Amino acid sequence: MNVQADFGTDPSGKGADDIVLAVRNLKKHFPIRDGVFQRVVGHVKAVDGVSFNIRRGETVGLVGESGCGKSTLGRCVSGLSDPTSGGVYFGISADDCARVDDHQSTGAALPSSEIADIEARHRIDLLQGDAQRRFRRNCQMVFQDSFASLNPRHLVVDIVGRPLRVYKEASGAELTERVVSLLEMVGLGRHHLYRYPHQFSGGQRQRISIARALALDPELIVLDEPTSALDVSVQAQILNLLNDLQRDNNLAYLFITHDLAVVQHMADRLVAMYLGRVSETGETKTVFDDPQHPYTLALMAAKPDLTDEDGAKLQALEGNIPDPARPPQGCRFHTRCPVATPICGWEIDDVVRWLEESPGMFDTLAGVERMSAFDASLRFSDTGSAERLAGALRSPAMPAAMQRAMEELSIDGASVRIRFQAVDEVQLTDRGFDHNVACVLDPSKD
Amino acid sequence: MVDFPQSTRRNAIDTIAPESALRVRWRRSTELTAKILSNPATVLGFAIIVAMFFMAIFAPWITTANTPDPYQMPRDWGATRMPPGTPGYPLGTTNEGGDVYYGIVWGTRMSLQLSITVVGITLVVGSIIGSLAGFIGGKLDEVLMRIVDVFLSIPELIFALAIAAILGPSFGNIMFALAVVFWVKYARIMRARVIQIKNSDYIDAARIIGDSKLNIYFRDILPNSFTPVMVQATLDMGNVVLIAATLSFIGLGEAGIAEWGVLVSEGQAGIASGRWWASTFPGLMIFLWALAFNLVGDGLRDALDPRTESSR
Amino acid sequence: MLDMIKRKSGTANSSATIASVKDLTVHFQSKKGKVHAVDRVSFEIYDGETLGLVGETGCGKSVTGRSFLQLLPIPPGILAQGTVNFHPHARCASCTGEGCAECEHTGRCPVPCPSCEGSGCSRCDDSGAETVELLRLPDRDIREIRGDRIAMIFQDPGKALNPTLTIGDQISEVFFQHRTDDLLEASGFDAADREFGAGALKRLASQRNGGIDNLLLSIPPLRGRRDRILKALSEMVAEALAQTHIPNPQQVMDRYPHELSGGMRQRVMIAQALACNPDLLIADEPTTALDVTVQARILDLISDLQQRRQTSVLYISHDLSLVRRICDRVAVMYAGRIVEIGRTDQVFKNPCHPYTRGLLQAVPTAARKRGELMAIKGTVPELVDPAPSCRFIGRCQYEQSACRMQDPALHPVADEHSVSCFIHHPAPAGDAPGFDKRTS
Repeated sequence: MNVQADFGTDPSGKGADDIVLAVRNLKKHFPIRDGVFQRVVGHVKAVDGVSFNIRRGETVGLVGESGCGKSTLGRCVSGLSDPTSGGVYFGISADDCARVDDHQSTGAALPSSEIADIEARHRIDLLQGDAQRRFRRNCQMVFQDSFASLNPRHLVVDIVGRPLRVYKEASGAELTERVVSLLEMVGLGRHHLYRYPHQFSGGQRQRISIARALALDPELIVLDEPTSALDVSVQAQILNLLNDLQRDNNLAYLFITHDLAVVQHMADRLVAMYLGRVSETGETKTVFDDPQHPYTLALMAAKPDLTDEDGAKLQALEGNIPDPARPPQGCRFHTRCPVATPICGWEIDDVVRWLEESPGMFDTLAGVERMSAFDASLRFSDTGSAERLAGALRSPAMPAAMQRAMEELSIDGASVRIRFQAVDEVQLTDRGFDHNVACVLDPSKD
Repeated sequence: MVDFPQSTRRNAIDTIAPESALRVRWRRSTELTAKILSNPATVLGFAIIVAMFFMAIFAPWITTANTPDPYQMPRDWGATRMPPGTPGYPLGTTNEGGDVYYGIVWGTRMSLQLSITVVGITLVVGSIIGSLAGFIGGKLDEVLMRIVDVFLSIPELIFALAIAAILGPSFGNIMFALAVVFWVKYARIMRARVIQIKNSDYIDAARIIGDSKLNIYFRDILPNSFTPVMVQATLDMGNVVLIAATLSFIGLGEAGIAEWGVLVSEGQAGIASGRWWASTFPGLMIFLWALAFNLVGDGLRDALDPRTESSR
Repeated sequence: MLDMIKRKSGTANSSATIASVKDLTVHFQSKKGKVHAVDRVSFEIYDGETLGLVGETGCGKSVTGRSFLQLLPIPPGILAQGTVNFHPHARCASCTGEGCAECEHTGRCPVPCPSCEGSGCSRCDDSGAETVELLRLPDRDIREIRGDRIAMIFQDPGKALNPTLTIGDQISEVFFQHRTDDLLEASGFDAADREFGAGALKRLASQRNGGIDNLLLSIPPLRGRRDRILKALSEMVAEALAQTHIPNPQQVMDRYPHELSGGMRQRVMIAQALACNPDLLIADEPTTALDVTVQARILDLISDLQQRRQTSVLYISHDLSLVRRICDRVAVMYAGRIVEIGRTDQVFKNPCHPYTRGLLQAVPTAARKRGELMAIKGTVPELVDPAPSCRFIGRCQYEQSACRMQDPALHPVADEHSVSCFIHHPAPAGDAPGFDKRTS
């Protein structure tokens, strides 16, 4: 695997060594079972190779729509789910991180003992004993649904004091006092100690969640859409609070959200995901000033913003999110991309998808013999259908890029043989200033 | 569902002085009790249960206990088949001169023993098995649930009948049979609830904190899962007595004991001849007992409905 | 005739009104007392416009929207007072709903009031148009209006669609209910026909057929007619789906809701809502549960359909940026009241009410520095028996004694822009507030 991009190592040099958490090639696949014996017939590739760093004291925004895998990624980062492959490294120094990166780019089959040692000390799914406890104490999470994330039968003092109890940091009166100071940190008070979660408003419950997350003075808090369910004015309060807490406690945040406005406001750097992979990453300001990935552009065009000019029109993105069990080849976005090129990964599945949506055509498809994802023979029940397909593929109804990518298109009776240009999975390329984009189009190279 | 505005105690919450945890929990249980008792049908059920309870406790004082075994119906061959209202026998006597009133009172004791024992055992055993199956999952879950499926595919009454028939007619055997049949219900309820809760965010939150699985089981899973089990247990207090009475009625009960089902069975021959009292009064008691627990069980279920709990 | 109606109602814009709400007050009975969910709300919806109803949770916007179609549960809800006057249009006689010059291609024409022939009287509230009071309409009449003249789409399409019916069946229900005559006609059958099997066919076309009818209709002479009805129905459903740009409507008709994505389900709901070309569409947060890109497409769709058919839309949302994009006028609600109402560009350029200002300043944008979002202090007040003061006290930066003593009402501050705040119109007593006098 060719690692071309820098994963957020700060070129300016300040704080470059202080990586709190490093994610490397994280993959999380969920098996799909079917049939009487529940055999595994495929995998939902929720997260399919994501890498980035989180530095001390910074906020990394993880943006994407539903189905992009950001929530799954959040769960892997916080240790709730174990990754299928790849790793989340905690407390790793920049040097060790570089060693892991080099090792992966050379693709050695067996890890050397040095690498194995680094993995044992830092990979969160391999940690044991004290090291695991240290990770747990330093990585906490705030959930989207403030009501569901608090045990309805526990009092606030139990909820917020639980981390202290679990690690035996305090008990009795001392515990109560520590809980009070935590509550005061988030804008609540002593009089909220002996209350049940349902007695609070959504914003207050989220504050309780945040107080709980702060109890052990962590280095990193993963926030999974913490304000999505809140009203605008309450969201403003919570975002202000999160900012103050970050400043006072030098906290790092992984801020997961689908709201571009919030991420633009809160995040230092952002990672945009589409269908399990990173589409664009960089400093927030850079990405918003100069978005280069077509998906990022589409997101921004679709999102109404208060500061837009009057009369500006929303631009909608065509197509649907493809099935995560069969992600498109090359660039996953090519099926919906308005500026797709012939090398964006056109494949047989694109033809099949088109057939599914055309009335009547799909029914006559008898079988598909695949030589590869790019090369197949589609057999129809009659020659007429085959000719119709071939005709459609040559017509202007098809994207021009797709037609140019077709190396072979021939009819053989009732079968149509199609071969596209085979391309590899698109990689993140460095556009300068720590701005990485997974797109073959590079405006700076024109 | 529209978010209908609720008047909340939100503003009060920000100004009222703190109290202790104990006072708050006490206040919550009294509120819950008040909610349960706000339904007049539930109150009626409770009243009947309390009356029966006292009847059972004070049995030796409101009747003259039979010797040597008070649970055996006393036989007064000189006063057989007397109608109600006969001096000394307010509800009449049975074919063997047994005091129907005596049978009712001591039958209450037996029913109480029966239901508490059976429900107690089945509740505990079923809940433990069900919650472990749900919490641990995997192979254990598969195995346990297949066993439960087998049990559940046999109708309760037939199953209990078969066991009691094999073991022989006795009160103890009836209790055993019922215990064997009834535990699976709790296992299923508990498992379903535990699985539902297991996926909640607050369980994830506890895992993120780093709490042990054991702690999570006891502190988070169990306290939130027992309300449906409690409702079922209350309803079963009534059901158990009904089924036991049925088994006794068809002859699997111990002859001659002061138990409602046995009394109904022994007295039914006399109905054709107009001697209605030996069966009717014990039958009435069975009815009242089952009714009372059903009323309370329904009242509990309405009051503890998770939907109303969370939207308070 | 049309001109006369248009001149009578409306404002300086001289556009006709499709609905007018006056003093709508809805209470909810709760343990603590009566919650004043909606309190003397009055506004008008003009023909062909999109009116946004914006506010946060608990402000009463959903309750207001639902009251149009009597969708509020009456205990615990109490309709304390108010009227909602609706002016239904009828299908254009010259084009039978297809669209022509006469009806300006909308397929619907306004109906003059029967008692004054369009000149204006008390029955039609001086509008000259046929008027129906929605809140107290009997059940049978409101059912005629629901789905036909006024349609509603909800927030979660997954919950609003019946999971056990196919998409085709669900949309068919609308046609069975409101287009019985069309279905019968399409089968070459007259509604007044008295032939053998007439009753069964009529019942089929209105979905009241029973077992015996089904048996009867399977006999050859009637079977052909039945099939024609069903075929006509199928075509109407496909047409409704195609209007919402759903690819391959024939295939979608046979699918169940769970087989479709969120965006598609919302399209289906819109198709169902617009099937009978309603006069008013009430959209209750239709895109909240959808992704940004899907949301953009749905909004495009609504605005496209609205432009083509001139359907009026009452768009309920909490998202200010969204409302700014698609609404002609906007009404801001707070604690059961409308605090500001006016043309969208005016309200957003020059927000007059302190709450509106607070809301606009609370939205995170690149312009605001981190940690300095303008958060309105405090929380929404309890709505139980509220005191006679401005509802925004305790949270307002410009509060003065006048605000604590009486409750402001909506007063115009500019053409088509009204606010209820003592900063903009004189208070009967006490110190008046002003934007220059910050008290907190």
